[in-house]
Amino acid sequence: MIKFMLMVNKQGQTRLAKYFAEFLTTDERRALEGEVVRKCLSRTDKQCSFYEHRQYKVVYRRYASLFFMIGVDDDENELAILEFIHCFVEVLDKHFGQVCELDIMNEPEMVHYILDEMLLGGCVVDTNKANVLEPVQLLEG
Amino acid sequence: MQSKLEKVVAGLKTGPRFLKELREFDNLVKAIGECKSKAEEDRIITQELELLKQRLSDPKLDRSRGKEYMIRLIYCEMLGHDASFAYVKALQFASDPNIHTKKAAYLALTQFLDHNNQLVLLLVNTLLSDLKSDNYLIVCTALVAATKLIGADLVNAVYPVVVGRLRHPKEHVRKKAVLALHWFGQLDPRREGPLAGVELDKHFRTMLCDKDPSVMSAALCALHECIRSDPRPYKNLIPSFTSILKQVAEHRLPKSYDYHRFPAPFIQIKLLKILALLGSGDRAASENMAAVLLQALRRANSSHTIGSAIIYECVRTITTIYPNPQLLAAAAESISPFLLSPSHNLRYTGITALAGITALNPAAAAEHQVAVLDCLEDPDDTLKLKTLELLYKMTRASNIQVITDKMMGYLATCSDEHIRRDIVRKVSDLAERYAPSPAWFVSTLSEVFRLGGEHVDEGAAHRLVRLIAEQDAGLHGSAVEAYLGLLEAQGGEGAGAPSAAPKKKLPETILLVICWVLGEYGHLARRPPAAVLSRLLSILSSHKAATERVRGCLLTALTKLAAHTGGAAGPVGAALLQPHGSAGGGGGGPMGREAAELVHQCLNSQNLELQQRAHELTTLLSLPPPLLSSALPVDAACEEFSAAELAEVATLPFLDPLVTRALAAGAAPYLPPEARGAKTGEAQAKGLRFEAYEPAPYAVPLASSSTSYSAGVNDARLHLGSTSASTSTLAAAASSHTAAAATPAAGNQLQPQLVLKSGGPRKWGPAQYESEPPSQHTAGHSAGSSAAAAHGTAAAGAGPASSSAAGTTTQSGGGRHSRSGSGSAVVTAQNAERERLAASLFGTAGGTAAAAATRPSPAHRPQQQSQPSNGSANASQQQQQRGTAAAPSAMDLLMDLDVPQQQQQLTAAVGPASGSGR
Repeated sequence: MIKFMLMVNKQGQTRLAKYFAEFLTTDERRALEGEVVRKCLSRTDKQCSFYEHRQYKVVYRRYASLFFMIGVDDDENELAILEFIHCFVEVLDKHFGQVCELDIMNEPEMVHYILDEMLLGGCVVDTNKANVLEPVQLLEG
Repeated sequence: MQSKLEKVVAGLKTGPRFLKELREFDNLVKAIGECKSKAEEDRIITQELELLKQRLSDPKLDRSRGKEYMIRLIYCEMLGHDASFAYVKALQFASDPNIHTKKAAYLALTQFLDHNNQLVLLLVNTLLSDLKSDNYLIVCTALVAATKLIGADLVNAVYPVVVGRLRHPKEHVRKKAVLALHWFGQLDPRREGPLAGVELDKHFRTMLCDKDPSVMSAALCALHECIRSDPRPYKNLIPSFTSILKQVAEHRLPKSYDYHRFPAPFIQIKLLKILALLGSGDRAASENMAAVLLQALRRANSSHTIGSAIIYECVRTITTIYPNPQLLAAAAESISPFLLSPSHNLRYTGITALAGITALNPAAAAEHQVAVLDCLEDPDDTLKLKTLELLYKMTRASNIQVITDKMMGYLATCSDEHIRRDIVRKVSDLAERYAPSPAWFVSTLSEVFRLGGEHVDEGAAHRLVRLIAEQDAGLHGSAVEAYLGLLEAQGGEGAGAPSAAPKKKLPETILLVICWVLGEYGHLARRPPAAVLSRLLSILSSHKAATERVRGCLLTALTKLAAHTGGAAGPVGAALLQPHGSAGGGGGGPMGREAAELVHQCLNSQNLELQQRAHELTTLLSLPPPLLSSALPVDAACEEFSAAELAEVATLPFLDPLVTRALAAGAAPYLPPEARGAKTGEAQAKGLRFEAYEPAPYAVPLASSSTSYSAGVNDARLHLGSTSASTSTLAAAASSHTAAAATPAAGNQLQPQLVLKSGGPRKWGPAQYESEPPSQHTAGHSAGSSAAAAHGTAAAGAGPASSSAAGTTTQSGGGRHSRSGSGSAVVTAQNAERERLAASLFGTAGGTAAAAATRPSPAHRPQQQSQPSNGSANASQQQQQRGTAAAPSAMDLLMDLDVPQQQQQLTAAVGPASGSGR
């Protein structure tokens, strides 16, 4: 079960945060994000893309200046989550055309809508790019 | 991009004021993007919130820009600021006819609120009408919002509409409706609340056959959750799941579901997870899915990470279901490339998967010893931690020492609370199961307490104390020396470098254990009792904030120490009984003064327990020596009591005349605690009470014969041994001698509490193993496993202890052999070190086999005996983990499977190494 997804740049600034299946107050989120991001930024390329934090396992992947982090519970397949991040980025690429940090900042709602198509209630529901982008592109038209 | 351009053009047309406002969002994004520090960001957001407050409360609010406001609000909340003033505005925008505004408002609400928020009630009407909308995008949006926001009290309002949407022509709607139902199911998992009588899973089963794969995938998610909570009702779906998996793996889904040319990998992984849950502990089910699992495993390849992910999931499933030798072999084979891979991610998964396989087949790890050692030494924490987990699973009596050393090394450097707690739990668990000797157990646990005492549960401390008590004087002596050394290290550091960094204080648990051991066996120390006394007192100076519990235990320890070393006339007794304020004339010098000071302080302490213990100390020490030594007998913690003796202690017949006298004098009759509770409960129910409160039971000064009855249960248990010993022996003396101190009421109070404490006559013995869940295997097995676990205690005799000791010597012998062999072939010292480590970790069973082949030594027989017992212990642990009730035949098969195979493989694996030695 996926618990949260964060997009954070390499300065540690949050660009997008989405929580699934559990609700945290603003303060709890702030604390959690601070710790998770600090741990993530302190890791090097020579380390694996997973680490444990409190009850979560965090899987992250870096694209240029942007880190994508997903917090999952113990039951999840880390490699699959790692690939899910990539799949998500591919969808974003297809939608924005070479997605960059600024795209996400300018149109955060689109990123949310795309994520809503792919992840619901903490489960990976759909990774078919055509399926995912259909409603989003209708909205743009 | 284009839409934004159009917006700008539209903005240009509408005039300058609008233009200025339009740029607010862009400015915000720009400002956030450019800011350099968190403080600057906070300042920008605070300004933004002010602006938004102003804009949103403006009656001439431009509704067409609702979407933008919503997104700005989302930004503010995302960056950690409270925007609750705007929640109601977001609710209003949710009913906006413009789909962009509506979607943004719903998104904001799902980000801001959760299903327990009262505001959601205001959204229900909007939500219901949106669920019935003709525009499928709006229906989808409403369903997503429902999946997050609808709570248990609102489910019934929405449920029928959502069920209706399951037949929507658009697959996007059906998919989201399934997941909304899934969410509703989680709100009421047992179908007892609002969803009583609703058959959600019937819908899920129907949707599993939907013609669109994405809807099927959503139904899989929902069913996965249902099966996780209870797999039994879903066993009949196994053929469906296997056939879906088969079709997916055979590439029957449309190409658009591929991901890097792997057919719908996420659906495959979901199916594998479901199959694992369904097959665990179910032989028939597991056999049905075996062929498909093998096929999925063979079809995936590690050319791309996603292929590795599928392989990993297959291995996880194979190790979770009822063990199948063919599948296990295939799984072990498929993970070897992971372990050899340069990628840390793959090695991490490989180690995790290997841990799963090792739990079923302990020999599996030996094939990959080099890789495992590499991972153990890797600088990456995550990888190291996983490897430690693997070691935990492959621990046997023979390699426990190396493994606990490794874990402890990690514990000493690690600072993460969660991980520390986990490691402490694992080490104490392993030590209890596989300790080669009592002395090792004692030193290991003490070390664990020292390093991570704040995470040790009290049960472990009790077991440690009990184990020490069961041993002979030699071990008592060494434990005393060890603990004195520990205290010395504390004191020494403090004296040597007072200005240095604050030294790590000993945790409370270990202090309690030290107090008990030094009190009980301090007289065995190889130094004068006065030195022991000074060490004990150093606890006070080095731990300024020593809790009252520690102080209490310290007092009792001092009492016992004094009693064992000549009573009041001995050096310790003299020091303790010095009149307060005298300048150390008696015996102890400054240290004696300190002791007397402590006693004096406690005599006047506000804490009644401390006061009581101090009074006991003075009273006991003033007894004539023969009485004292029978009150606090030397080394009697392990004493056996007959049932009659215990019954006598429980009923306290010698107090009867006292009680009758008190009753005759008009004292209130005894009320059992339950009755007392009911009485106070009544009083509370009535509200205010006007009569006086009865005196609190613990406030009554108790007879000196009871050491600590008013202490917490746990605390009392720690020195239960000494207490019950002294009570029973004092029983006769008490009435004649200390009855004066005991008021009748105290006698009454005393009775139930005594029953409570000594009601379960805890005789010393390996009772901790009885507390393990009853195993289903035969008596022989369980006896074997407890014998192996019982670190050679009195019950097991010297047999297992010597056998495991022999095991370690033969094994370390093998290690030395291989090292000398490799030394001749020029290998660096580092390699030799690694080899030695490998031999001690993996080479044990091989060593055993080799020993069995070369010389039938007397040590050989007990080793064999301990081998299967380990296997069974492993297996039973495995089963407990899965929480399944496996048939006993499962165990038999496991045994048949593993033992011979394991020995073969191990000899094969370790053969060359030991061969080179000879």
